[in-house]
Amino acid sequence: MLAMSNMAKDFMPYPRQLLEIGGPAAWMTPLGGLVVALAGIYLMSLVLKKSPGNTIIEATEQAFGPLVGTALNILIIVSVLEMTGALFMREYSDAMLTTTLRGAPISVVGAVFLAMSVLGAYLGIEAVARVSRLFYLYVLGGILILILSLTPYWNVHNFLPIFGEGLPKVIFQGAYKTSTITEIILAAVIIQAMGGSVKNFTKIGCYSMLIGFGILILILATVVLTYTWQVGEEFTLPLLRLARTIYLGRFFQRLEAIYILFWSIVGAIKISLCLYGAAASLARSLKLPDYRPLLWPLGLAMYILCLLPPDMSDAIRLEDFLRTLLLIPNYFLPLFILAAYWFKGGLQRAGS
Amino acid sequence: MSILNNLLKMITYQENTDREGFVLEETADDGHAARQSEPSPESEAVPQYGEKASAGRRAFKKPVRPANKAGCKPRRIEDGSVAGEGRPDQASCQAKSEQPANNLSVSASLEENREIVGKLYGLPVNRDIVVRDIVIGASPAINGFIVFIDGLVDKSVQDLLIQALMFFAVRPAPPEKGKLAAYVKDRLLPGNQVSVQSRFRDVLDAVNYGDTALFLEGCAEAVLVETKGWEHRSVERPTIEQMVRGPQEAFGETLRSNTALVRKLVKNENLTTEFLNVGARNRVNVAVMYMRDLADPALVAEVKRRVGSIKTDFIVDSGMLEEFIQENPYNLNPTIMATERPDRVAASIIDGKVALAVDGSPFVLIMPVTMYEMLHTGEEIYSRWQFGTFIRYLRALAFYLAFLLPGFYLAVILFHHEMIPTELLLAIAGNREKVPFPSLIEVLLMEISFELIREAGLRIPGVMGSTIGIVGALILGQAAVQANIVSPILVILVAVTGLSSFAIPYYSLAFALRIYRFFYIILGATLGVFGIAAGLFTQAILTANLKSFGVPYLAPAGPRTVAGADVVARLPVFFHENRPDYLNPQDITRQPEVSRGWLIRKDGGKDN
Repeated sequence: MLAMSNMAKDFMPYPRQLLEIGGPAAWMTPLGGLVVALAGIYLMSLVLKKSPGNTIIEATEQAFGPLVGTALNILIIVSVLEMTGALFMREYSDAMLTTTLRGAPISVVGAVFLAMSVLGAYLGIEAVARVSRLFYLYVLGGILILILSLTPYWNVHNFLPIFGEGLPKVIFQGAYKTSTITEIILAAVIIQAMGGSVKNFTKIGCYSMLIGFGILILILATVVLTYTWQVGEEFTLPLLRLARTIYLGRFFQRLEAIYILFWSIVGAIKISLCLYGAAASLARSLKLPDYRPLLWPLGLAMYILCLLPPDMSDAIRLEDFLRTLLLIPNYFLPLFILAAYWFKGGLQRAGS
Repeated sequence: MSILNNLLKMITYQENTDREGFVLEETADDGHAARQSEPSPESEAVPQYGEKASAGRRAFKKPVRPANKAGCKPRRIEDGSVAGEGRPDQASCQAKSEQPANNLSVSASLEENREIVGKLYGLPVNRDIVVRDIVIGASPAINGFIVFIDGLVDKSVQDLLIQALMFFAVRPAPPEKGKLAAYVKDRLLPGNQVSVQSRFRDVLDAVNYGDTALFLEGCAEAVLVETKGWEHRSVERPTIEQMVRGPQEAFGETLRSNTALVRKLVKNENLTTEFLNVGARNRVNVAVMYMRDLADPALVAEVKRRVGSIKTDFIVDSGMLEEFIQENPYNLNPTIMATERPDRVAASIIDGKVALAVDGSPFVLIMPVTMYEMLHTGEEIYSRWQFGTFIRYLRALAFYLAFLLPGFYLAVILFHHEMIPTELLLAIAGNREKVPFPSLIEVLLMEISFELIREAGLRIPGVMGSTIGIVGALILGQAAVQANIVSPILVILVAVTGLSSFAIPYYSLAFALRIYRFFYIILGATLGVFGIAAGLFTQAILTANLKSFGVPYLAPAGPRTVAGADVVARLPVFFHENRPDYLNPQDITRQPEVSRGWLIRKDGGKDN
């Protein structure tokens, strides 16, 4: 489920940004992000170990006290997940409009995503995980077929120069761009669905990162190999362009509609997870017994936020900015919590 | 102020403690009643099934209906009306206390017993109840009478019993009249199943079920002799679940025959058949069948708890029972399987499942089941594994085509022309040129016509049904194309969809897919492939959320459990080493790792 969630951004304009950074070495840009993400999981696991049996919500409250902790939870976790959900809702709605429903109003497409995500979040993390389990073979199989179908168009020389504009830029800027993921904080919120075990959290987190980043590397490499990076960075939706390029004889061509089918489902899973994460975090922060009553207001807020950008280019620009906010709950928050524990421990030692 | 309070109450969130599907106890009252009643040793021994049942639920008082406010007063027998003419919603009440026979005991006075029987059965108006006076030829002679229902008893057996009592009972009668019933049972009656009962409830249940009751002067007990012998169908070939290879027997309407058909296949002393009564008025017998040493005790207890908790007046078929006991009655997908084939029931019981046979129903319920099992027929196991696997994949394709094909067709021709090769696109466009309807109407027209033909074919009696179905489809399709109402490609499409639907082996699942198909038609026509994706996500998440007696409906795929060798691909039978993991059987091992002993030992692996 987390791997599917991680893959959701690959179907959007996101790979284009990485092509801009990395050029022919775009496929290397996620490597730095992968290392940072794995470090983030390690950091988060340290935090969760300090508060066994609890989620990141309780850990924050334990570290900063109930008042500041609750405020931080709402400001950092709930609002960032909410905004990320809105961002994906907008991006996927835009993608549907540009690819298949050209005449439809964005509000209608967004409303369908809203309905799917509210239903998914209402039925809970278990149901979303089962759906992810059901579809992951189709999604991964689809990507694999797409990559293999394009092999006739590959040109290995497109990878040259091998380090693009220089290794430091590729690695550091790539790490900055690709480490902005939601899965670390989501996993920390739903840790109890993993049996409450930090070991499971670390294992699942690492696996999902490896799969997600692995797929991203493959997609970037395929874009570069098929189109060169100069052409690739002109595409709004690079993966859709790749799907359009498939030509397996006169009968099997232009198969992007099949891919849209699975991408929409991945998008619905991603938005459901963000909504679930936001609602569950808010319910835990406010000590509510059930998260479900929060789904409708949070979902509606997500829908309204998704409609705010006036056009697609603004939405992409906004995404660029908002995505960096994900660094806060994933990496800075665990660091702050660890610092608070360390500080408290120091005080206690001084007191004794 | 009260309006304000009411408004506040309306907008305040209240946890739904009474939601079915997420809790095992249907209502809080049931839970309370279950806690109040004495726990059976079995229910003490096994944990309650499911997670939320043990979590404790908020006490929630169900509102009492005005009709019931006065309470459920037991009606007196002097009213002359037996078993009330009350409304159906009073049935539970009647089930508990209003049945006049419930508290009556057999009297020592023959006349009194005759009067009670007459009133209970509404004699002499009720003409199929026979009360016959007899004199037992013991010395001294004993007066008595027998009660039975004409048509339900086997007259040859009954004649034999009457002869034994009236002509051959030339023994001295015991001095104590209170022991007469036991004396008659032990010494005079040659019947196979003879019992002595002192409550009228038990006597009536037996007589209603084809037994003969014998009342004796001076004895406060009645002798019940099994004389069941009503008209019934013999064991016939399956009509719904036909197959080429495998047993060709089907269940009938007689419960005992059905249980015997299963027992014939499972010759094991651990096969247990328990009987429960359901229905306040028709008191139908329901047989719960399971393997004592295999089935999860919690599962058996849960099945019995659900069946035992049903409060209704009338159950006539297992379909009605199914609706009463399934977790998610609002979802289209069936979560209990009904089969007419004893071999399927036997195989399921051996896997650790529970079967429910309802008297009068030729379909036996199997639980728990997963959706994958509903796509099996059992025939795959009887034929070679390669054939079975091929058929399974073909059926998987049929499963998707049955509900997706028309919707996807609409999505492609309305939103994604680029997918269609130019020649095909031109052919479709050429055929559609003269059709005046939009594609959506065209598809709906054909689909509804097809459903009508199917339904009409079922309702028309005998051979005519299938003839009308085929002829109707051919003529209608041809005429519709010639009249330029629909395009030829659509006729092919609807036919393929229909064939795929027929290829789904379980009727209820095929029916669900038929209904889903219409949702996809609308979604495909309005939102294209995105609509289909939205439908698939919604259907998948609702289906993944289903449970059949605690077992996830899409196991072993979602959630992932140990898959085994018989889910989609059917591996050779010697790989079927374990029973399904999700059933939590007491013994998971079906056969050893090397089940073909002859491969490794010269003696044929006799010790294996």
